[in-house]
This record gives sequence, structure tokens and C-alpha cells, in this order.
Amino acid sequence: MSSRSPYEYFGASVAGPRHRAEGRPNEDSWLGIRGAFGTLVVVSDGMGSKRDARRGAQMACRAVLDAVRAWHKAGSSSVDMLLVRIEPLWLALVAPATGRDCAATCLFALAHSRGQLHVAAIGDGFALRRTSRGVEWIVGERKGGFANETDALGYSALWTSRSFPIDGEAVVVLATDGVADDLLPERIEAFVQWLLDDFAGMAPAERWRTLQRELRNWPTPHHTDDKTLVVLAERRAMHA
Amino acid sequence: MSKLKEFTASSARPLPVLLLADVSGSMSTNGKIDTMNDAVEEMLESFGAEDNTRAEIHVSVITFGKEGAKVHHPLAPASEVRWSRMTAAGGTPMGAALDAATSMIEDRAQIPSRAYRPTIILVSDGQPTDEWQTPLKRLLDAERASKAARFAMGIGDDADTAMLAAFLATAEVRVYRAHEARQIKQFFRWVTMSVTQRSRSANPDSVIAVEPTNLDDFDF
Repeated sequence: MSSRSPYEYFGASVAGPRHRAEGRPNEDSWLGIRGAFGTLVVVSDGMGSKRDARRGAQMACRAVLDAVRAWHKAGSSSVDMLLVRIEPLWLALVAPATGRDCAATCLFALAHSRGQLHVAAIGDGFALRRTSRGVEWIVGERKGGFANETDALGYSALWTSRSFPIDGEAVVVLATDGVADDLLPERIEAFVQWLLDDFAGMAPAERWRTLQRELRNWPTPHHTDDKTLVVLAERRAMHA
Repeated sequence: MSKLKEFTASSARPLPVLLLADVSGSMSTNGKIDTMNDAVEEMLESFGAEDNTRAEIHVSVITFGKEGAKVHHPLAPASEVRWSRMTAAGGTPMGAALDAATSMIEDRAQIPSRAYRPTIILVSDGQPTDEWQTPLKRLLDAERASKAARFAMGIGDDADTAMLAAFLATAEVRVYRAHEARQIKQFFRWVTMSVTQRSRSANPDSVIAVEPTNLDDFDF
């Protein structure tokens, strides 16, 4: 573990009731890691109708990590140069399956060791940044459209991304649509605060177990989706 | 108890179904309005009985006839709809009905963004008596209404099939032509099957494609 990044993360992912009932695995995936590049969190949701959705999601996390490492090593500061690396890497990782067979959403946040926070996404779910000024949606604020309309890796979709100077107070939350679609938009700020108040202070193993339990016991009636939730925050914000 | 309940929706994601029903005077002949009332009632019962689904089916009925376009039943869970039968009289103000449907779908207070793509069912036995091209363009161009799955049934030989096909605006689904009571009921059973299959499917936004001209092959 690198001591250079002041960022911490936690998260959890569970199979939804539909996959559990069908004896199928969780087709969401997530990753959190620290390194010379800083701290990275990724969430991905394998599209349910696709044959190799689970592998697509797992490889999405791996592709972002590989891309971040190569991009950081190359010394680039342009986030576009990072984003263009991801889908080709992912396609190589899922081969011989095709991108369409493995289509998966991909949302990530990178607290880069060179002082920038990058948040980027393809597909649904949400990525948001909370500061003392409130919540800022990077993706996932439902203004139009309907549930389950999504882009994904495998469709050459465009990334949505934002970059911010690292300021010590930001909290980033990423979630797949199983979480995002049932959260009340007007309660989102309180939801983020609840995550920090109730989970940030826990020991990692207890935190993971507790968050898994919360996701498994999701209260919205008839929910069926897999659910993944990840929090990334500067250490002071995490324990404020 | 978990605090998560404070931050999450307390109801299942809605799957809205809007029926635009022609209640013009000509629908009162040959028992058409009675057959449609019976068929809609049966559809509502089927929707209301659906349980353990991924989506909760919500239904609204917009009629167009003597009183113009009128919300006969506001959007509500199918299980809560108390059905009152429609009566037929007057002209066929279909353009006004299309505008009413567009307004309802674009209104996020009535159909939240967490809803699945709505279904619009248009049923008519005649030519529109108001200007319908602009309202139809508004519907097909609207951010949300344009994404709705659409079904259309023309009853009898006087139905404006070209207009109904323009409403469907896709080669994948054809206008269903009904000439007798049995076919009207069959159409609504087909719609019921399509919607309930969506509500149970992994992705309720995927529309179940069944060729309506082959409904006789299906055992409902």
C-alpha cells in the first residue's frame, strides 16, 4: 500500500434477488486499490441480457486499473488520454468473447497522485461528488428518460468525465443501477452522510460485512438487481 | 432497523400503461364499446393480479369522444383501479388525446424517471376529427414519450390505418385490425401478455415482439 495517497475507500457488492433465485452469480464487480498513481475505485455492472456479463464487469475493473497504471507511468495529465485506453484494453481482456457479449457499464474515480480527482463513467448507475457546497452529480442524476437505459463498454460509447483539484473535503460515491434507481434524489445528501457516519469508522472487515448486509436487505419492494456501492474520500473527510 | 429505508423508494418501479380509447359515437354500434369495456376490465384484472414482478404496472385511460380528450382514469397501480365503464358519443378528437398522453409522460411528477418505459395503446374505429399530425409529431419528438412502446388497433373498415401506422412509427409492429368482438378481446390479451412479460423480465424495458397478425396462433 502506498503512503502517498491520502484517500481511503470502502465498498461492497451483492447479487440481487433475481440472480440469487436463479443460482447465478453477481454480475456487478468493483475494485479499490492504492498505488503510485494514487487511489482508484471502479464499479461495473455487466448487462443482464449478455452472455458473459459477469466477465465483462470483472474485466472492466481490471482494464481501468491497467489503463491508469500505464497512463500514470507515461506521465500524461490529460484524462482523455486515460479514457481512450480503457475500452481497447477491456476488449483484449474479454477476448475471445466479443464486446457485445460482455457489455458492462464502467464508473471510476481516481484520486491521482499528481493532485487531480478524476471521475468518469460509461453507462448508468451514479457517480457523485459531495463537498461542503453540496452534492454534484457527475452521472446518474435522473432528469429525463426512464430506468434501464444505458450505454456500456462494448458499444464504443462516449465517456462522461469531470476533473477537480484535490481539496481534502470531497467524497465520491459510485453505485450501479441496482442502488441508483431506488435512491430518493432528495435524500441523496443524507444518504452520503449516513455512509460516512455509520460506516467510515468501522474496522474494514466489519464495515464490509455490514454494508453487504444492508445491500442484501435492500428495502425497496420487488427489487431484483445486483447492487454495488463504493465510497472514496480523503482521510479527513472520511473521519470528519 | 436499518436507516437505509429513509433514503430509498418505498414502492416498486412503475411500468406505466396508457390506453387512448376512442369513445366516439361510432363505437356505440355493433357492441364495440361494450366489448372494449369488457376487454379493458379483463386486462386490468390481469395486471392487478400480477405479483412478484420486477415492476408494478400502472394504468391510465384517456378517452376521446364527445367530451374531447379526457382522463377517464388517472395513472394508478392496476391493482387499485376501480374501473368505470366508458360510454360512446361524439367525434374522434385523437390529436387532443395524443397531446394528453404526451403531457402525462413528460410530467415527472406522474411518471418518475425510475419508471420503466411506458406503453401507449391507441384504439380507434374511425378518422380523427381534429388536427392530429402536429400532436403526433410532438409525441414522437418528445424526450420521454418518444421512447414509449406503442400498440395500435383499428376497429372495422373505417379505421384510419395509415394514421395508426404513423403513430406506431416502426416497421417492427403493425396495426392490429379487428372486425369482430373476438378480435378486440384478442388484441387486449396480446397487449396484456406483452406488458406482463415485460414486468417479469430481466429488463422490463425490452419489448416482447409478437406479430399481431398471427394472434390466432397464440393460446392466451
